[in-house]
Amino acid sequence: MGHQFSRRTLFRTASGLAVAGTLGSTLAACAGGTGAGSDSGKLTMTWWGSDERHAAYKKALATFGKKNPKIKIETRYSGYDGYFDRFNTQVAGGSAPDLLQMDTALVAQYARKGILAPLDSYVGKSLDLTGFSKTLLAAGTVDGKLYGVPSGIGVNQLTVNRSGLERLGLKLPDREWSWSDLKKIATDVYKKSGGKSYGVDDGGGSTLQCFEIFAREKGQPFFSDDGKKLGFTADTLQEWWEFWAGMRKDHASPPPAITSAAHNDLTKNAVVIGKALFTFDSGVYGAGGAITDAQLDFLPTPQGDWSGAREGNFVNGGVLLSATKASKQVADSVKIMDFFAQDATAIKDMQLFRGIPPTEKARSLISAGLAETDKLNMANADYISQRVGKAGNALPAPVPPPKGADQIWDLLFQSNLAVAFGKKSIKAQLSEFFDQAQSVLAG
Amino acid sequence: MTTAKSDEVAGQGPAAPATPADRRERERMRRRAARRRGGGWWPYLFLAPWFVGLFGLTIYPMLDSLYLSFTDFDLLSPAKWVGTENYSRMFTDDPVFWDSVHATLLYVVVSVPLKLALALGVAMLLNRDLKGIGLYRAAFYLPSLLGGAVAIAIVWRQVFGGDGLFNDFLGWFGIKGQDWISSPDSALYTLVLLAVWQFGTPMVIFLAGLKQLPKDVYEAAAIDGARPVTRFFRITLPLLTPIVFFNLVLQIIDAFKTFTPAFVISNGTGGPLNSTMLYSLYLYKKGFTDLQMGYASALAWVLFLVIAGFTAVNFVASRYWVHYDD
Repeated sequence: MGHQFSRRTLFRTASGLAVAGTLGSTLAACAGGTGAGSDSGKLTMTWWGSDERHAAYKKALATFGKKNPKIKIETRYSGYDGYFDRFNTQVAGGSAPDLLQMDTALVAQYARKGILAPLDSYVGKSLDLTGFSKTLLAAGTVDGKLYGVPSGIGVNQLTVNRSGLERLGLKLPDREWSWSDLKKIATDVYKKSGGKSYGVDDGGGSTLQCFEIFAREKGQPFFSDDGKKLGFTADTLQEWWEFWAGMRKDHASPPPAITSAAHNDLTKNAVVIGKALFTFDSGVYGAGGAITDAQLDFLPTPQGDWSGAREGNFVNGGVLLSATKASKQVADSVKIMDFFAQDATAIKDMQLFRGIPPTEKARSLISAGLAETDKLNMANADYISQRVGKAGNALPAPVPPPKGADQIWDLLFQSNLAVAFGKKSIKAQLSEFFDQAQSVLAG
Repeated sequence: MTTAKSDEVAGQGPAAPATPADRRERERMRRRAARRRGGGWWPYLFLAPWFVGLFGLTIYPMLDSLYLSFTDFDLLSPAKWVGTENYSRMFTDDPVFWDSVHATLLYVVVSVPLKLALALGVAMLLNRDLKGIGLYRAAFYLPSLLGGAVAIAIVWRQVFGGDGLFNDFLGWFGIKGQDWISSPDSALYTLVLLAVWQFGTPMVIFLAGLKQLPKDVYEAAAIDGARPVTRFFRITLPLLTPIVFFNLVLQIIDAFKTFTPAFVISNGTGGPLNSTMLYSLYLYKKGFTDLQMGYASALAWVLFLVIAGFTAVNFVASRYWVHYDD
């Protein structure tokens, strides 16, 4: 039998597949439409978090279900990765959850787009916010209206592997410490460990616990008040990157491959894999790895040691609970928010899984049953919020991050990485950073 | 986004030759169909489910995305017409776009030839009458079945990570490895390796092609004293060019659309330093993470045009190197 590859058969099959493949999947995936909220009888609630947080939420909601048998709650939960991608898709597809855990960094974007329901009309009636301070509520307030109930006090802090530090014969630094103290102890960790461990994970590209505080110590906010511009100068960022370049040079901070691997992946965090003792990532507690049996401790983000340095720390609202505007069950969602804000069993169930509880009453309710690490965490948060409250020179708490903020945070991360990998000089990367950031904020 | 559409071809193979009896049968069918053409809405009724799918799930979303590509659309509020702004921004004001174009072209240019070469090589090894050959064929095809799976990409992440199997393996030879996934110079090549490893689909097609090659030519060549290498380059390859071409077209299209491994291995970031920011991943990030669905739609259409362009060039070039028998 001769070979029979007819031009027509092959051509037809190939072009058919080509068209089906490219058009069908790529293009169709991009179309969307806008619709309204879900209207199944159940109330859907979503959140992100760790397994412990999932369990705590479910336990508390079971109690709520017993007290309010008419409200049927369907829960969906996951890690933070992809949580908001999914929320966006659900909103666009008309199947948004009724009640969701919201990020303080994103609440302004969603509120201004009309996705979230304003809660002011419920406050003082079905929503009891007694004991919530005004600065705390600011975290859920956008343009004068309340769009989310804060779960607790969130502060910017470093997590320290204290056992690791003690094993090397080093002492936990004082809470009133500066950036040069950080550099000193991080370098000591590298030397005393015989090069086995670096000191602190690379903070040059990390915004929230890190660069934002540094800029505020210089008297510069990260975003301008109207959110249309960057609030800090090129000099500030240059000084920052040079500080971290020095840290990497002295092995006080790990090389970029470790930093890059940890991006969006807590299990690869330098402290979790045992390659550093200090981290700016606030989520490592409970991540296991090298710190499974270690005693952790917490420190405020370091202070500026130049003349005229200001208080850079601030207090935010942990995570928020928000209701969607298209939902037909906003009133029921508010009941659940109220339950988490004031009910004693809910407060005890949630412990510190959503930050330090927001009210004095809640804090005293849980303090007795807390584990050692939780107590240290709460003590440090208390310390920071008191210091911030007393400071006369602190900038006001940051404005809600504008649209595109997450792109700029990612840009900062990538820029620092490009410098660390030696692909770009600091000078060249600076101008590139400001060009791109401006175009993101303008668009 | 579906992957490995090309898998469907595997079962079909090249068309069987038509015998005179076949032709007579076909002619009869055609006449019968012509007779019925008068009362013609019945067929459409039966086709309706397919049409609903075609128009509702493919054509309409496609046209919609063409419209959206000229708008500023954030998924959550109505789309605003902006003309060609998305397209001009792509080419003049978006460095990450160029990073993704660079990564994607590199990925296509490196992975496709390697994959095809490996597929052909293994197909030739498997094209013989050994005991249990079916088992071997299945074993080599297996990776492709796992192909687009998230699980495999996760495994890859572990194997090529800093403390992964690959570095353990290098350690046996005293070579100190690095974190291959986290270094901007090597991350893309871990994706290439994953793609090459999944050579099963083109391999099966090559195998089907090899089986159809005429034995008499080889016998003649053997009598003339042609060595295996000569036989491969002078007989096998030229006769197989239509299959090579077919695989080439499909694999290039597939490679351009690669999404899952890049997404999983880089943890959705396309990093380090955008070195694994394959085009589809960038498109996804723009649309679903940065909420720039209008821009993402424009990106999709540019990808479509680029793929169409590559395919057209492929077809034109094929006139000079592909030999058909008809």
